[in-house]
Amino acid sequence: MKHIARPAFALLIALWSVTSARAEGSSYRLEVDGLACPFCAYGVEKKLNALDGVERLETNIKEGAVIVTMKDGAELDEASARQAVKDAGFTLNGFKQESPGTGK
Amino acid sequence: MGISGPAHAAPESVDTALPVSKGDFVFREQFLYREARDDASPAARNLEVLGGISALGYGATSDLALFGVVRYLDKRLELADASGRRSVRRTRGIGDVRLFARHTILQRDRPGRTLRVAPFLGLELPTGDDDDGDRFGRLPATLQAGSGSWDPFGGLVATYQTLDFQLDAQVSYKANTEANGFRFGDEFGFDASLQYRLWPRELGSGVPGFLYGIIETNLLLQAKNEVGGTGDPDSGGTTLFLSPGLQYATRRWILGAVVQLPVVQDRNGAALDDDVIVRAGIRVNF
Repeated sequence: MKHIARPAFALLIALWSVTSARAEGSSYRLEVDGLACPFCAYGVEKKLNALDGVERLETNIKEGAVIVTMKDGAELDEASARQAVKDAGFTLNGFKQESPGTGK
Repeated sequence: MGISGPAHAAPESVDTALPVSKGDFVFREQFLYREARDDASPAARNLEVLGGISALGYGATSDLALFGVVRYLDKRLELADASGRRSVRRTRGIGDVRLFARHTILQRDRPGRTLRVAPFLGLELPTGDDDDGDRFGRLPATLQAGSGSWDPFGGLVATYQTLDFQLDAQVSYKANTEANGFRFGDEFGFDASLQYRLWPRELGSGVPGFLYGIIETNLLLQAKNEVGGTGDPDSGGTTLFLSPGLQYATRRWILGAVVQLPVVQDRNGAALDDDVIVRAGIRVNF
């Protein structure tokens, strides 16, 4: 019994890891011009977070980039992203889909 | 010394042209301490002012920001009478409210930097008490919390910001009108600020907090006050402040403080010279 217990346990852990991983939607890289201070980043993030389907944001102020990860099945259109950045008071200068999402 | 708008990521005694996001708010609370003790007149006046300046900015659009500023002031003047006996005259209360709008007319965004220019226009309302008194009678107009007058003001502010530093410059003019037979002299201001990122020295990923070293300068030209239409020879003049400070900026809040030191004071007659002004405050966005 001992000889199959460990491999079985390891298999259970592996199966649990795979099934519990959340399916992620597409991710996009937005290049935001004019963004040069932490306090300004909040305004951009708040506007982008308010868009439908946004799962999470990661801002890299050094690169002036915001990585937007969408919920599974959701897509981000460039016009909406551009308007959100404009409403925050900045300028969208790049919009690129980085990954199509993992899905199930 | 700045019209004291709340500003976005901004200097301490100077305004900024950086945006307030559409539909969002920026709130600023700044504490003020002002001391003026160097009086060569026989009255040997000592003036001390403690204040809390509350300002709220709202992004009506990404270009148009609306601001309201309310000040609570505690003014204390100690002086000697003709016999040399010293007494204290004091007032505390809400000062005149300032409302103004700022609109961006030039915006040049590049990766990691921006240039903005924005005119602003506003009105100072006579909401503060201008009729306070003590056992000696009505307090002088310069000691009242409010002016009693409707005073328009306006100007232009420009900001150039990069990831390493920020420059702000502002010109402003305030036209003071008459109330209670008294008119404060008009004010012309030129203010400039340099904020330099001291830490972190190298930027990595994410959005770290920035520690800025600040150096600001405030030039204030005040015309003479008028009493019953006659200029008061002991009022008005020119003051130039040099103001070092520090500021720590995060996504949601900024803490900052400056010490304003008068390096040039050319005050008319017996007008009181400033010794120092200290400003410290916090800004939050929501």
